[in-house]
Amino acid sequence: MHLPPWFWFGLITLVSWGIVGLLQKLSTNHLSAEWALVWLAVGFFFLEPWLYPGKMLFTYSARNLGWALLSGVFNALGAWALLAALKSGGKASIVAPFTALYPLVVVFAAPVILHESITALQGVGIVCALVAVVLLSAESSPS
Amino acid sequence: MRMPEALKAKWFWYSVLCVLCWGGWVLSSKLGTNEIPAGTMQFVFAFGFIPVALLVLVLKRVRFEKSVKGISYSLGNGILAGIGGLTLFAAYRSGGNTSVITAATALYPLITVILAILILRERLNWLQVVGLGFAVAAIIIFSL
Repeated sequence: MHLPPWFWFGLITLVSWGIVGLLQKLSTNHLSAEWALVWLAVGFFFLEPWLYPGKMLFTYSARNLGWALLSGVFNALGAWALLAALKSGGKASIVAPFTALYPLVVVFAAPVILHESITALQGVGIVCALVAVVLLSAESSPS
Repeated sequence: MRMPEALKAKWFWYSVLCVLCWGGWVLSSKLGTNEIPAGTMQFVFAFGFIPVALLVLVLKRVRFEKSVKGISYSLGNGILAGIGGLTLFAAYRSGGNTSVITAATALYPLITVILAILILRERLNWLQVVGLGFAVAAIIIFSL
């Protein structure tokens, strides 16, 4: 079976973010959402010494460095909006699957902004993934 | 015509904002990875959290909380989220379809649910069982 090159990278993302989902639950048992977000940001900086690109950083275009920075701002704002939704009375069983629908924005925007199209089979896969995410985010009961 | 109750609720609009922001995060990530390698993307990405974290602390005026457990879990979160982000940038950079990669990696609740069963001893409800089936189907389709 020939797996696409992105598959293994995607799998590592899937597993590490899956563990993050569990740790988030555990961390907010002990901290407010705001401090959980702050310490999460601090956690990112633990990786910075290994990721520091040195002088190479200044060889990239300001435009693309801007996209990289903006992606961090967008991600953090999204995380804050999710926490704010939960704080303002949104039920986790509704807010979690709702906010997990962000790939829909990408499916509609990618053809226009990135000039990418998907095959019919990939479309079926995306629909399956979206349905799965919504169903998996349904609150489970403690035993 | 009456406006649905959800449209009047704050949480609904915060959720919409979250979806739009995370859509923006994916698109700006893909645009950046056209030139910048995954490691440098993650390095610069982390700095985007500083203004938002400071803004949240100032606006909410929350007092410092010194739960060692909570801080340790959150730091672990940041490190793992960073590793996941790094490999996501690598996946985007490998030239795969952005919509497909985004939908595949958004399946991470699958792992959370499995871990919650193993570690927190939570039980699956029937909706989650059906969800597991859809997730497996999606992964098989993406791997074709």
